[in-house]
Amino acid sequence: MKQRRFKAIAVGLSLAVGLSLSACVTDDSTSAEGDHTIVIVPKDSTNPWFVRMEEGVKAFASDSGLNVYQKGPSETDATMQAQVIRDLIAQGVDAIGVIPVDPGALEPVLKEAMDAGIVVVTHEGATQENTMYDIEAFNNTDYGAFIMDNLAEAMGEEGLYTTMVGHVTNASHNEWADGAVAHAAEAYPNMTLLEAEPRVESQDDGEVAYQTAKELFKKYPDLKGIVGTSSFDAPGVARAIEELGLTGKVFVSGTGLPAANKEILEKGLVQSLTLWDPADAGYALASLAAKILDGEEIVDGLDLGVVGYESMQFSSINPKVLEGAGWVVINKDNVDSFGF
Amino acid sequence: MTDLLAVRNVSKSFAGVHALDDVSLTIGRGEIHCLAGENGSGKSTLIKVISGVHAPDGGTIEIDGTSHKRLTPMAAINAGVQVIYQDFSVFPNLSVLENLALTSELAAHRKLINWRRMRRIAEEAVAKIDFDIDLDEKVGRLSIAEKQLVAISRALMSDAKLIIMDEPTTALTTREVDALFRIILDLKERGISTLFVSHKLEEVFEISEKFTIIRNGRSVATKRPDELDRASFSFYMTGREFEPAHFNAPADSGPAVLEARNLGADGAFADVNFSLRRGEILGITGRLGSGRTELALSLFGALKVNHGEILIKEKPVVLRGIRSAIKHGIGYVPEDRLTEGLFLERSIGANAIISEIDNMLTPLGLLDREKTRTEAQRWVDELKIATPDPENAVNTLSGGNQQRVVLAKWLATEPEVLILNGPTVGVDIGSKSDIHTILQDLAREGMAVIIISDDLSEVIENCSRVLVMNDGRIVAELDPEETSEAELAALMAHDESEEAGVQR
Amino acid sequence: MKAIVHKLTRSNEFYVFLVIVALSVVIQARSGQFFTANNLVDIANAMVVPGLFGIGAFMVLVSGGIDVSFPALSSLAVYATTRVLVDAGYEGALWLPFLLAILLGGILGAFNGLLTSRIAIPALIITLGTASVFSGIMQGALNSVQIPNIPTAMKEFGTGALFIATNPDSGLTSTMPVSFLLLVGVLAVVFFLMKFTTFGRAIYAIGGDESAAERAGFKVKRVKFWLYVLVGVIAAIAALVRTSMMGQMHPTNLLGIELLVIAAVVLGGTAITGGTGSLTGVVLGTLLIVIVQNSMILVGIPTFWQRFSLGVLIIVGTGISAIQLSRSRKRSIVTV
Repeated sequence: MKQRRFKAIAVGLSLAVGLSLSACVTDDSTSAEGDHTIVIVPKDSTNPWFVRMEEGVKAFASDSGLNVYQKGPSETDATMQAQVIRDLIAQGVDAIGVIPVDPGALEPVLKEAMDAGIVVVTHEGATQENTMYDIEAFNNTDYGAFIMDNLAEAMGEEGLYTTMVGHVTNASHNEWADGAVAHAAEAYPNMTLLEAEPRVESQDDGEVAYQTAKELFKKYPDLKGIVGTSSFDAPGVARAIEELGLTGKVFVSGTGLPAANKEILEKGLVQSLTLWDPADAGYALASLAAKILDGEEIVDGLDLGVVGYESMQFSSINPKVLEGAGWVVINKDNVDSFGF
Repeated sequence: MTDLLAVRNVSKSFAGVHALDDVSLTIGRGEIHCLAGENGSGKSTLIKVISGVHAPDGGTIEIDGTSHKRLTPMAAINAGVQVIYQDFSVFPNLSVLENLALTSELAAHRKLINWRRMRRIAEEAVAKIDFDIDLDEKVGRLSIAEKQLVAISRALMSDAKLIIMDEPTTALTTREVDALFRIILDLKERGISTLFVSHKLEEVFEISEKFTIIRNGRSVATKRPDELDRASFSFYMTGREFEPAHFNAPADSGPAVLEARNLGADGAFADVNFSLRRGEILGITGRLGSGRTELALSLFGALKVNHGEILIKEKPVVLRGIRSAIKHGIGYVPEDRLTEGLFLERSIGANAIISEIDNMLTPLGLLDREKTRTEAQRWVDELKIATPDPENAVNTLSGGNQQRVVLAKWLATEPEVLILNGPTVGVDIGSKSDIHTILQDLAREGMAVIIISDDLSEVIENCSRVLVMNDGRIVAELDPEETSEAELAALMAHDESEEAGVQR
Repeated sequence: MKAIVHKLTRSNEFYVFLVIVALSVVIQARSGQFFTANNLVDIANAMVVPGLFGIGAFMVLVSGGIDVSFPALSSLAVYATTRVLVDAGYEGALWLPFLLAILLGGILGAFNGLLTSRIAIPALIITLGTASVFSGIMQGALNSVQIPNIPTAMKEFGTGALFIATNPDSGLTSTMPVSFLLLVGVLAVVFFLMKFTTFGRAIYAIGGDESAAERAGFKVKRVKFWLYVLVGVIAAIAALVRTSMMGQMHPTNLLGIELLVIAAVVLGGTAITGGTGSLTGVVLGTLLIVIVQNSMILVGIPTFWQRFSLGVLIIVGTGISAIQLSRSRKRSIVTV
């Protein structure tokens, strides 16, 4: 009996291990002649977000004529990402642009790269120590203000609103929401925050966003707008707006990908959503690496040659972090133009 | 007319060990037969062979004139053999109705349930033995006797010719036993045979017409009741001459080491008074559920008491748990040594010394290996534990030897009071007697011992005083030399509520 | 009459019912919104998915087992279904998505069934393992991502309305989804199964005493196997409903719901030790949880305390079972 149990456990374990190992590193390197080789290492090469990023990387390659390509692990895994970087060091590339899965886990391998004389830059890795510069698409407070501008436009710059975050513990969502509230207080005197429920949670779950929005509209009939942050918020709230018959009367804004939100934009349930285009970030990251390789001085106002990244500013908190204004608006008119 | 059941020369061994060796047994139609034997004598194996659970290695089984070489459980049932196990095999979560009728629905390969039909079937089943019960009641809420009647009703449904009952009266009151016997006699009238399985003479003596006694897997005697008495029965069961020995405590051994005053624990026992002096062996006996086990646990600090007090050496103490009981010099050998008393995978030595481990440390607080080894060896020698090496795991030992390890473990704490709960349950005869000798020696050396047991001969032979518990109270205090097993059994089974006229 | 009252007061369901009534009155008093047509429809709407999952969890619990793999199982089944149909550009009717999801749910359930009926490891450990395997397959092998556009038939089913309730004061409208019929239908089928078939009674019998069930002639292994298959099918239906109603496939949307579902079922009086429980209890327990979940803002409980309240409910729900467990253990000690 006991034997059999152990066997069963062993079989179960090896099954599980086998499954997690079944993903391995993909190799889509292209070799070409050029002065410099710049490689962008995303979190996960199969994720649509990074597939889109690769388009920007390719655009920079053809614009600059350098040997620039993207190469990443086949799943979001810090160890596998470190392995990819280690291979690149061995190949002797000139620059690496990393979107770290886990900044802490990458410190040793990035230090190795810098010690080997390779230019290292990062994106969405503000806490990374072993990097020369980290670029962020935008400053969180400014992005919040931008979301607010979009919501205010839909609401006619007046009425009661509240904010929705994935979790009240999520740092960036709350910074965006705080930025939105601060901006409204300054720029839109006729808009008021719902004091009874100033911040609700969607738990990064479209269903919860939907149920919560329904409750909010029932309880507060005067509520006219919701500032959404997580990508689950706007679609969930839009579902509630449609069902409750509030289309055109109440509004939601927030972050979202074009393809996932095409329908609610076209139906007019949501006027506009904001996001940053990963292709632009990829372009900017490669461009930054090239500038460093060319020996250009990195100062405030740096132009990385793509919309939103034309005037990079150093962060007031972290001297290694450069912030752009790399957000874009999607609405029913341009939703088909992104291709992701 | 042929016998209903004839078991001829059946043998069965498990992994080379003979469980049954050339056993024969015949039961006539309407006969009430008792299969007696000590624990481990092969009784249950024989029952399993008769009910088709185990295929015998040799021999034949004849039911109703048909010889079966390979009896399956289904074939046995179809031939009319029904076994009522000690746990009755009922579903506590289902109603009486379903417990009775589901089996027949299954046997008919029905996919759908017709509750009206099921109710009819159940009504017929209880009517057969005039069993008056609410068919919609959950079986889990019934008394043990009622559960047994449910099991009997169910057994009778499928045209049973032989009902086998495993230890049927162990947990019943006198009145319930009488009711059961009336039903058995009624079945006899209808030509249905009954086979009781028991390891005690008293239980079914008055009703059985024939006894088959087996020992170590062999049938040693087949007797009518008038050919048997206490002494011969014990001889057949144990293979030893019955010597009515008694243990006497020293005349005066000073003040009480342990005393209970009006001790009570809600829902378990109440108003318990006794005192225990050095050199005494006090027996506490009672049926299952009489409160005997709970009392033992309370005296060891493992169960909270709500009333009264415990005095140790004439000072009141509060036992806050097992550790505090050990500190006060109380040792406890549990009923089920396998689950309560031992670390089966660990070595004999480690188990024996576990409770005195605090004394085995070097000045640095580490375990003194040399000291533990000699101490372990000392216990193995002293208690005659049959093992080549104290480093062997406990589960390599036989039941009796495991029990000795438990004893060693508690003796190692040098208790002044040793409480043993069912010290020889499941132990073979040889070890049983050895354990008794050890206990008597301990008492002679001045230890106070409490034996909690429903093995009446054990209590009478080894104790200097016996308390009988019934329904949570002590109903009698007796001198073993002046009582008999029959008297004890009667006191234990006496239904208090009957006398008081209380409705159950 | 007296007997009925006695029976009522002895049942868990009765007390859950009382709690629901009390809670509804409090919510109504504080918000004035509870007993409005649209709010009641909203609650019915929110009950569909947890209710369907609850039915499956109930059956497993009655058999004396426990299944924590159903969220992963159903996510995998429905993810694969949606992926295949979307990739193939399926524009046909609703039967195919249902058929595929049910088939996949059944196959994955059979995997659970085989393991639990053949191997002597507690069902909790087995289903914890299969849950990881299922979500591993979905996230690793199938590389799951959000699927924004689901087949039209599913979408229409998800937004389809039985009727629309309007609040006369606020003018807000709420949709009673077609899938509510599915909940009622599955409830009816499972009720019949549990009450009027030998299969259903076998589930109760096994939960009561497995070895007694074996001796009574029930085919315990076979019953367990088909039980898990059935539970897989019900779970897949639940996930298909969720995906259709959301209009998008979020592969991880359901993961983690098992705690809430099992707590609801246990709150409704199903014993975690197996053998007892009723579908009435499942409905009431689920209703209680859903009401609490969907009335926090109505009552005005601050965001931080909302999860606290739900947590308390889960502790109470699972606490009841812990007490049951220790009680039954105590009982067995005393009778030994």
